[in-house]
Amino acid sequence: MIVADPRVPRRPGPALAALFCLWLAACSGGASLPADDGASGASGIGDAAAGPSGAGLDANLDETPAGVPTGDVPSTVAASRLDPADVEAARLLTQATFGPTVDSIAEYRTYPDAEAWIDAQMALPVSLVAPHTRANSNGSHPEARHEAWWNNALSGEDQLRQRVAFALSQLFVVSDVDFALGNAQYGVADYYDMLATSAFGNYRELLEDVTLHPVMGVYLSMVLNERADASANVRPDENFAREVLQLFSIGLHELDASGRPVPADDPEPAYTQRTVEAFARVFTGWNYPAARYWNDTNINTVNFEGPMEPDEAYHDTGAKTLLNGVVAPAGLSAREDLELALDNIAAHPNVGPFVAKQLIQRLVTSNPSPEYVARASSVFDDDGSGERGNLGALVKAILLDPEARTGHRTDPDFGKLREPVVRQAHLWRALDAVPGPEARAHATADFALYRIDEAVGQAVQHSPSVFNFFLPDHTIVPGGERLAPEMQIMSEANLAATHNNLHHQFYRFTTRSELSDDNPRVTLVDLEPLVALAADPGALLDRYNLLFAAGGMPDGVRAALGDHLSGFGDSDAQRFAAVQDTMFLLAVSPSFHLQR
Amino acid sequence: MRFTSTRGAGVDRERRRLLGSLAALPLLPGVSMLADTARAQSAGGACTGARSIVCLFLAGGADSFNLFVPGGRAYDEYRATRGELAVGESDLLGVDDVAQGGFGFNAALPTFARLYAEGRLSVVSNVGPLTRPTTRSDYLGAVALPQSLFAHNTQQKLWQTGAGIVSGSTAFGWGGAIAEHAAECNGASPIAPSYSIAGNADWLASARTNYISLNADVAVERMFGHDGRSEFIPGDRLAGVGASLERLIDLAAAERNPLMMRAIGAAVGRARTTTAALDDQLRANPLSGASFDRTNKLANQLHLVGRLIASREALGMSRQVFFVKMGGWDTHSDQLERLPAQLAQLEAATSMFQGIVDDLGVADSVTAFTASDFGRTLTSNGNGTDHGWGGHQFVFGGAVDGGRVVGETPSYAIRDNPDDAGEGDGGFAGRIIPRLSVVQYAATLSRWMGMDEGAIARSLPDLANFARTDLGLFRA
Repeated sequence: MIVADPRVPRRPGPALAALFCLWLAACSGGASLPADDGASGASGIGDAAAGPSGAGLDANLDETPAGVPTGDVPSTVAASRLDPADVEAARLLTQATFGPTVDSIAEYRTYPDAEAWIDAQMALPVSLVAPHTRANSNGSHPEARHEAWWNNALSGEDQLRQRVAFALSQLFVVSDVDFALGNAQYGVADYYDMLATSAFGNYRELLEDVTLHPVMGVYLSMVLNERADASANVRPDENFAREVLQLFSIGLHELDASGRPVPADDPEPAYTQRTVEAFARVFTGWNYPAARYWNDTNINTVNFEGPMEPDEAYHDTGAKTLLNGVVAPAGLSAREDLELALDNIAAHPNVGPFVAKQLIQRLVTSNPSPEYVARASSVFDDDGSGERGNLGALVKAILLDPEARTGHRTDPDFGKLREPVVRQAHLWRALDAVPGPEARAHATADFALYRIDEAVGQAVQHSPSVFNFFLPDHTIVPGGERLAPEMQIMSEANLAATHNNLHHQFYRFTTRSELSDDNPRVTLVDLEPLVALAADPGALLDRYNLLFAAGGMPDGVRAALGDHLSGFGDSDAQRFAAVQDTMFLLAVSPSFHLQR
Repeated sequence: MRFTSTRGAGVDRERRRLLGSLAALPLLPGVSMLADTARAQSAGGACTGARSIVCLFLAGGADSFNLFVPGGRAYDEYRATRGELAVGESDLLGVDDVAQGGFGFNAALPTFARLYAEGRLSVVSNVGPLTRPTTRSDYLGAVALPQSLFAHNTQQKLWQTGAGIVSGSTAFGWGGAIAEHAAECNGASPIAPSYSIAGNADWLASARTNYISLNADVAVERMFGHDGRSEFIPGDRLAGVGASLERLIDLAAAERNPLMMRAIGAAVGRARTTTAALDDQLRANPLSGASFDRTNKLANQLHLVGRLIASREALGMSRQVFFVKMGGWDTHSDQLERLPAQLAQLEAATSMFQGIVDDLGVADSVTAFTASDFGRTLTSNGNGTDHGWGGHQFVFGGAVDGGRVVGETPSYAIRDNPDDAGEGDGGFAGRIIPRLSVVQYAATLSRWMGMDEGAIARSLPDLANFARTDLGLFRA
């Protein structure tokens, strides 16, 4: 499913591989970076207030084993020396892909600038999940769909498209958790491919594709939604009507161009219950594409091939008052009504800031400045050629914005928590992970990947509800101002399970491991390229810093890892042990949760 | 639907509040330790005897009008309004309320009906978010209404915070307030008083007491590498790895770091401390005798709650606060197929849980109660129901003065319904205006846990707008 582009190197073979992970450290302080970078700028200017959670750690310093330094101490190894161009490449690839690798950084640097790389990425053919899903399952089990997604995330060349598709799947949410879609994996996969295919297309067109996709029809029950039957006390279903407004387009309140509710002291609702009822009437009269008659409801794979189709007999043809006083006149067909209503939604001034801010949060930072959101949403409003809703232009504007490129130098709160599956993909890409000898595809240490959510709280198209895995306005501290959506799923349970999975990964499941018979499918990481660097601790730490911190590894973290490395000897076994320990420490450290 | 935002207030307000909360108590990760001053300030609450409370959140908006159904003439109205979605009389388990006459539990919930008959379960009728008593004309006048009615996430927050508007200082949960009291009662116990077995829970959010989030899908086990525990790290390296793990956690939590770094550092530290503290106790109380379907996620969660309750004494706790959650209640479509499946799981899980509690001999000190986003429309949308407002909830346990329907039964009439929040344009949907507020329900439960009136008033400020501040759900 991946079409090779001769300009883009294939994933490195084992010999090349060495990727090192990337983790992005964040902030604590003063990493010795090239002056040009400044990832270290974040020296702890954070406000003095620790939240309830922050408080805990301060009080816990006493538990640190005696003799172990806890602050930033001079490292026993040389200060970091990274090429600023490599650092910038790693930062952009962290935001725009499932994680940088040595090779992807090198490939990035063959382009004159970030925009040229983005243009090349956008031109690559799309990697799909439906073909693998269809070829490897009967559609009633999610495993093949997850295999396909992970293969694309880890190895697909269209990395930018895949990363944006994943972000879009958290905006236009469908989930196979719910009642009807667990057995509709072909359809769920096809829906994802639709998002990937249209990732750089037009918002209004994608909104229509989303609206009419039978998987959405099932998920938010628009399929077979009928006009009212007053004699039976039956009225149209409000499910899609409400959520398309609240979650896919405009949100609960009127917004300014920077995504802030207005007026600030008393936000105006963007719509009322009556608006929802009007849209519910719009979205009546749609059926599965293959249905022979209205109640031909036997759901099977055929039902998910192609968009839903109208049946005028079940459409409400009365007049409806939509957003901003726009009236859909009486007598329109189901499709005419729907087109008018989607035009009405897509023209609402909220859409630009609403969509822009959430894409910024998924790719770059949880707390973008109002100016950043406004700049991005202005590109959504007009891409320069008069087109409104150009998602490709929006993505480019988000990634090339000065705040995305240099915000980490000046704003201590810049950045975001890595999403759990992105974090895992990042580690695997950087460490050139390979499936176990008997695996059809990648599997985690303790979980089949399709169940990874049980450990980390997230799996593609498997959120608990249409409200995604986390809410965009989730605050770090209850009632606080600063946002960290991903924090909502960083429960103690998930953090502990993630930690233990990574423990198993680095101490049981490397390409050097003797695999027991009961673990023939587990994904293996290749530490050998790092072992080869370990003779020079400074070089090893530089590699860690580049791949896992995009050059922003805090001095304290570098010192801690450097001190840990100093306890090992020069033999191959000692070097392997040193890499094993420090990769584990790096991968589970709090710093690696943060992307800056 | 107007509300006040704190958004312009900026960081200063946040900093002040957080500093205030920090001053109140230094928190260890996963540990509740109130500073002496805080303990002295709120010494009024009662800590006598052990008590555990369990919030069973039915996420998505449970159609409680089909869980508990009126009898008599109201049943005829109910059936006419709901049409084919109505539960048939033969599918109801009849019970009586002394004051209000006959009702029926959905026959898929025999445990609820049994507990009601035993006097250990009461129904709280037509309760939902209200900032003050609200009539239909109040609603149509749009005065003082709760924020963003009918939206899932907002209504979940209103239920869990007891606020009519969620912003700034109202973002803390009333379960979190109970947990603050519980932390005082638990004194030197090394374990946090409050647990979510379902991820993030606004209900437990508190500025003073962390709650612990456990996962019933995976075993609660220590984080390997810490505390000298690992089957795979060679012994001669284990202590060094442990020390470096601690050092990295401390680095992240350093005071000068940005809030997000400190928060994740604290979360990792809390995960380490909590899993270590609970591991032994949970192993000691496997409750392996309880039999349930492992695919029933609510049963899994309640089983873990049962194990923690079984460990209550050994952990040195006199108060425990739990949050569990069951999804799948947003029955816009296929309700006739979906709801029975939901009820079967709810029944199996609650039956198992009450059995555990009874077997442990702690029934009088454990209360469970339901909550949900909202009730659903009385009318059908063709094959399901849409978002409503008021609904029925259930409180059960040995301390409950059960066998009663608390609160007035709403009108189920299709026309001229005084409880309908419709807009008078002929679009009758049966979005029922609550006659009891979440804050009245919450105050009653908080009081049972021993909170004093001052703490309850601070936790639920809108309670002052209601004449009746206790629903009398518990035996004296």
